Amino acid sequence: MTTHRAHLLLWLLALAPALVALWCLPPGAFATISSALNALGRLTGIAGLGLFLVAAISCVRMIGFDRWFGGLTSLWQSHHLLGAWSFLLLLAHPLLLALANVELSLNSAVTLLFPSHGGAAIWAGWGALVLMMIFLAPSFAFFGKPDYQKWKKIHGLSGIAAVLAIAHTLWLARTIAEPWDSIIWLTLIAAALASLAYSLIFARRASQFAYAVNAVHHPANNVVELSLAPEGRALSYAPGQFVYLSHFDRNLSAGYGEEHPYTLSSSPSEKDLRITIKDLGDASRAIQQITTGAKVRVCGPYGAFFPQHSKDRELWIAGGIGITPFLGRARHLAATGTGVDIQLIYCIQDEARALFADELQGLAQAIPGFTLSLHYYYQHGSLDADFLRYHCADMARRQIYICGPKPLITLARELSLTAGVPHKKLHSEEFDLL
Amino acid sequence: MKKLCYSAFIAFWASIATLVAVQVLATDGADGASRAETAPITLEELASHNSEQDCWIAVEGKVYDITTYVPKHPVPPAILLAWCGKEATEGMRTKGYGRDHSPAAWEMLDAYFAGSLAE
Repeated sequence: MTTHRAHLLLWLLALAPALVALWCLPPGAFATISSALNALGRLTGIAGLGLFLVAAISCVRMIGFDRWFGGLTSLWQSHHLLGAWSFLLLLAHPLLLALANVELSLNSAVTLLFPSHGGAAIWAGWGALVLMMIFLAPSFAFFGKPDYQKWKKIHGLSGIAAVLAIAHTLWLARTIAEPWDSIIWLTLIAAALASLAYSLIFARRASQFAYAVNAVHHPANNVVELSLAPEGRALSYAPGQFVYLSHFDRNLSAGYGEEHPYTLSSSPSEKDLRITIKDLGDASRAIQQITTGAKVRVCGPYGAFFPQHSKDRELWIAGGIGITPFLGRARHLAATGTGVDIQLIYCIQDEARALFADELQGLAQAIPGFTLSLHYYYQHGSLDADFLRYHCADMARRQIYICGPKPLITLARELSLTAGVPHKKLHSEEFDLL
Repeated sequence: MKKLCYSAFIAFWASIATLVAVQVLATDGADGASRAETAPITLEELASHNSEQDCWIAVEGKVYDITTYVPKHPVPPAILLAWCGKEATEGMRTKGYGRDHSPAAWEMLDAYFAGSLAE
């Protein structure tokens, strides 16, 4: 199954309850304005909850499962979109139902939203919607860019919101005839609970590995490369995959026990894991000071940046710390002595910021068919079509892999599309999920 | 997407506030319930209002004239028409498969109050 189809299947599953509801609507449901508003109000509610539950299913970190979707970041992009559309539909849901009642009277429209007595099911719906606003506010940066750990805690409210939304729906649902209504919702709820239980109970244990810091190396003053030795069983991974790293060093100023995602920069054939971390926030700044012997936990591996088997010609475009997945793959190619046809364009501001430049030059010598071009922003300006054409004349016939800051990813994608690279040959790794 | 979600979030609360404000400002609080003091309606009288053009139902001791509401109800009219001229508490409480109507539906029903059912 292609990754595209896997994502499509996820959306179909999310929209299935709404499609069944659409089919169950009585004839004439759209005959008058108020009946159409009522029908749309019910459909948006059903579609919104369907998307919400599938968003919950797709947020779990299942080892291997993410590869079907082109990696965890790609799966989470669908999770993000499902959540956003669910939010938009669920905002429309009460408004449409209230507007449908305006024809009867203004009182009945407002009473539908705020019942004066009883109405626990309506208030459960309100509870779910208000909680959704709270836990999505940081995700969509309603009030500025959020802190990752705070965001994670607030996002946990989604569980309570889901319970309230389900109670509201099972109580009031009348569009889909029984027993189908119960069957559809209970199936989706069971799937969401099963994936949650799997990720919390089984996957968590299977994906966690105890490591200790074996060596600390600073390729630049704000970058650290940690070598980690396994304390028990060792992580098995593919080049370019990423892990969640937690440190347990109380001497560090931040991030104790917190999980942060980092790309592995080592070759899977090495005994130690290597992780290169740039100082980009509180936790990554604190970890620059970690010392040998410190205990860490590695959780993973995730991601599917590079395909498992590829004989295609490739162009790699890296920006700054985005060199790490390429470094891991190049180290692996050198270790296994594989011949390739790969052009790496490494974009940095100036020579002083070219992380691992000497090692990459050495790898270019050692790996048959691997060439390296350095692009200095201060010297060449922004990456442009001329530079790409000069260093990689046949890029339209290559698989393109891009990793770096968001502006570089956007620019490199645009340049590649203009140069005739088809969409399906473009691969980029984006961690900016918030 | 972030801008769209934020705009929808603001638009949502603005719409809710507008709807509530308009309802509070409107002063037509006298509709419905004006026939409460009329003579009780007997089962015979109720039974005579049993068509699509003239549909009364009795629910928990009160009679409602739902003629104008029948075409607006979400289920096909035939389901409601079966209750015209009859005691319809069961229909209101179970919707035919054991589920009560929403509080909003019960409050909507008040708007169609026609009189009390004779003991």
